[in-house]
Amino acid sequence: MLNMSTRKSLRLQSRGDTTPATPIHTNFYSPRLRSSVKRNLNSSFGASEQEPLSPTKVLKSGSTPAKGQKKNEKITLIIDKKNMTCRPLFYYESSESEDDCVAKSRILGKRKVKYPAKYTDVYVSPKKTVRGIEELHFTPVKNKLLEKDVFNDGSKTPKTPRNSSKKATPRSTIKQIREGTITPKVQSRIKAVELNNTPLKMARSQLHVSYIPTDLPCREKEHEDILSFLEGKLLDKCGGCMYISGVPGTGKTATVTSVINHLLKAVKTGEIPNFQYVNLNGMKLTEPRQAYVEIVKQLTGKTVTWEQAQNTLEEIFTKKAKKMKLPIILLVDELDIICTKRQDVVYNILDWPTKSITQLIVITIANTMDLPERLLMNRVTSRLGLTRLTFQAYTHKQLQEIVTKRLFGTNSFNPDAVQLVARKVASVSGDARRALDICRRAAEIAEVEGDDTLVTMSHVNEALKAMITQPKVRAIKNCSRLEQYILQAVISEVERTGIEETVFSNVYKMLVSLCAVNGFNSVSCTIALRAISKLGACRLLLVDQKCHDVDERIILNVSPDDVYYALKEE
Amino acid sequence: MKNLSDKNIINLRKFLKNNILNNTDFMGQENERQQVYDLLHRTITSGESNSALLIGPRASGKTTLVNNVLGDLQRFFSSDAVLVKLHGLIHTDDRIALKSITAQMNLENAVDGKVFGSFADNLTFLLACLKSGERGVSKSIIFIIEEFDLFCSHHNQTLLYNLFDVSQSAQTPICVLGITCRLDVIELLEKRVKSRFSHRQIFLFLGNDNDNHLDQRLERLQKFLLISNHQSLDITPAFRKQWNSSVNTLLQNRNFKSLMQRLLDLDLSERSLKNILLLVVSELNDHNNKLSYDTFLKQVELFERDETVQVLQDLSVLELCLIITMKHHCEIYDNQPMNFEMVFNRYLKFANANSNIQTVERPVIMKAFEQIQNLELISALTTGNSGVQKEYQLFKLLVLPHQISEAVKKITGLPTEVTQYANSSLV
Repeated sequence: MLNMSTRKSLRLQSRGDTTPATPIHTNFYSPRLRSSVKRNLNSSFGASEQEPLSPTKVLKSGSTPAKGQKKNEKITLIIDKKNMTCRPLFYYESSESEDDCVAKSRILGKRKVKYPAKYTDVYVSPKKTVRGIEELHFTPVKNKLLEKDVFNDGSKTPKTPRNSSKKATPRSTIKQIREGTITPKVQSRIKAVELNNTPLKMARSQLHVSYIPTDLPCREKEHEDILSFLEGKLLDKCGGCMYISGVPGTGKTATVTSVINHLLKAVKTGEIPNFQYVNLNGMKLTEPRQAYVEIVKQLTGKTVTWEQAQNTLEEIFTKKAKKMKLPIILLVDELDIICTKRQDVVYNILDWPTKSITQLIVITIANTMDLPERLLMNRVTSRLGLTRLTFQAYTHKQLQEIVTKRLFGTNSFNPDAVQLVARKVASVSGDARRALDICRRAAEIAEVEGDDTLVTMSHVNEALKAMITQPKVRAIKNCSRLEQYILQAVISEVERTGIEETVFSNVYKMLVSLCAVNGFNSVSCTIALRAISKLGACRLLLVDQKCHDVDERIILNVSPDDVYYALKEE
Repeated sequence: MKNLSDKNIINLRKFLKNNILNNTDFMGQENERQQVYDLLHRTITSGESNSALLIGPRASGKTTLVNNVLGDLQRFFSSDAVLVKLHGLIHTDDRIALKSITAQMNLENAVDGKVFGSFADNLTFLLACLKSGERGVSKSIIFIIEEFDLFCSHHNQTLLYNLFDVSQSAQTPICVLGITCRLDVIELLEKRVKSRFSHRQIFLFLGNDNDNHLDQRLERLQKFLLISNHQSLDITPAFRKQWNSSVNTLLQNRNFKSLMQRLLDLDLSERSLKNILLLVVSELNDHNNKLSYDTFLKQVELFERDETVQVLQDLSVLELCLIITMKHHCEIYDNQPMNFEMVFNRYLKFANANSNIQTVERPVIMKAFEQIQNLELISALTTGNSGVQKEYQLFKLLVLPHQISEAVKKITGLPTEVTQYANSSLV
């Protein structure tokens, strides 16, 4: 109860308190308070005994209602490390240290604006260490976060800090993450993974999309184009842009990454000047402006707000630097996501190469070929330039070559099976990921029969069936009788009226007569509606949720032929 | 309050209810179960990244299957794997989902389940974490995403793209298992998300592609209702024997079988069966300690009844007359919309023609009309205040004619005039 009221009064007081270095009343610290401070600090520090006593709480002392007293007070807490006891000393601060105190508070105040925080901040300031005794300075500082620790009323007991048992506060962790001192990591496993001892397992791991071969087959020409472009720009020491397009799964990002790796190797031998590589993916950003943050993070390792990041980048690229900086290669993946209505981010990214002091080469990747003309403004398109490259979808021969190259060293696949996969995939999308996934699935199916089976056409057929076929016919076959009658009723209603959209009341009429014909006990509207909503949930029917029950609009979402086919076979 | 002095029957009810509600074992579809098991097992033990979708209509046991498989893999979760569960109805946007992922993976920026930093911070940190891991060293992470189709409506599908992208690149091994009831869920994915998805779809259908549903259903009923010897229950052996034999005779009953067939025809899922069983079991007491065909029949009839007819039966005579008037209007003018004035005039004709019908004031009829509107037996064509007076607002009838005649038949003590009025529109 006491604590609650203390805090409330504190909040009230601190609101009026604007000057950081507030004069403190002489009678402020009563003997009773002193003991309570001691108790409080003991408890708070005692809990974190294992740590060195470096983190010191910078406590803000609230203003007192006293009038006219302008003396500053500095509290020094003497902590004996051996006994873990605190002994606060109070004395009047001399006038010189007042400036010091104000300066510090300014720094703190500024910092606070930058990082609006919700949690108690630990401010580390071990001032002096004399014979194992640390002096902790309790300077009056404006810090809203520490309000609960403020002692402003001598008659009340201050509250014990709640988070005293934690080693590092989450705020400090966030700060460290932002500064890049904490490396992100995932938990490591205890047991090691199984080895790829059988040929099928080895084939499977090599067929995985994440397995990247040393050189990409069938993309030699594109590789050469990008390499010559980048090399030329690096050797000429000028900036430039390039736009790469192609449907997903045609090896755009993989080719560019392999070119960069190639260049990095060339740097080591000294053939070309050193450069920095920044890699950006539009889909990995929460909003387009985070692109600035990501670039700055990859250049400096620090996370800042996007406004600051933009300023930093402007400075790097447009203002004359003191020393020559390294050229930068910037890869922007999924460019269409970064395009907003204003297109300021895209404009900036493409504008920097033209006016840059620091050499900047931008490579942009997107799916559609005509994206610059369709989506981008004229001034952006003009800056993007005409250096463009299109990745065609893989043909079946190329897909076959990719899969065969990956399987090099294992003889677990029948060449005909690989060809079947390549032809099937090339006819649909020409997506390399799809071909690899199907081969992997086929290997899994073969593995059920034994570790050394050869993957044949039948396995591949099964995998293709599982991954490409439509499930609708099977779904209709597995509906209950009532649901099948409803589908039939919808079809006959559509045929009767000639309009695709039907209404429940008409479907119900049709359903009743269908049931009578088939010798099925008629159902009530409630049951029929329930069945229709079930069919709507798995999207065999499209149901308009907004309309009321009887004039619910219903559209068939499968072709009538599928329904006939599914129901005829019985 | 029913008399429940017999300890046997109390324990039996408790056991049966528990058995029906909390039965977690998975029946049938062994092939699909094996596929899911292999997928997760391979992700955990050999560090392979995978993605898959589990698709099936509602109440087809998708979540039960996954929980069953996860139960089998429980021993790995402390040492080799991390389980992250997401639900489309709870994690309504990527921001919330990301916080939940961070908390469940117990990353550095999460303390006691509370996650710090902005959305962008969280995403960057999560991706950096996943990137730092590698196959064979770091724990496998298993993402179970329920109501997967709702995640497709998130902005840019950022979360799905990133999860699938991790599963297709040499980073921390993860397995993304989406659960949904929509058959066309793949079409909801954006093209680059679709390209990164491995197109492994596992379908779970209720019918299970075979025709002897009734036998399966009876077998399932046996599992629910029979008490085996080794279950430690406080039931005397004599009572148990009596109970089991009564259940067996019921399951052999021909009428009962046809009743079950009817239920199957309406709905193949086990959920409706469970609901009915629970109601039947709740009726067990000292006097009625056997399951009988009649109790089942009663519950199935309750299940099948028309709810609109039920509402119509509870209307007052005036409200019912108004509904009948509306029906006549619909029949004469071929479902044209009507307003209060039209209904009122037509009703007055009827009331004036029959001297037995008590004449009531116009405001009372208006009130009855509003009551009908509140019951949603009629619905306004225009929504909101369109500036039309309420007497002239147009309405549509939401009751089918056969429902009205059914209700009129069922109500006892209705004046003869009203019954006749219901049958003919010639007044």
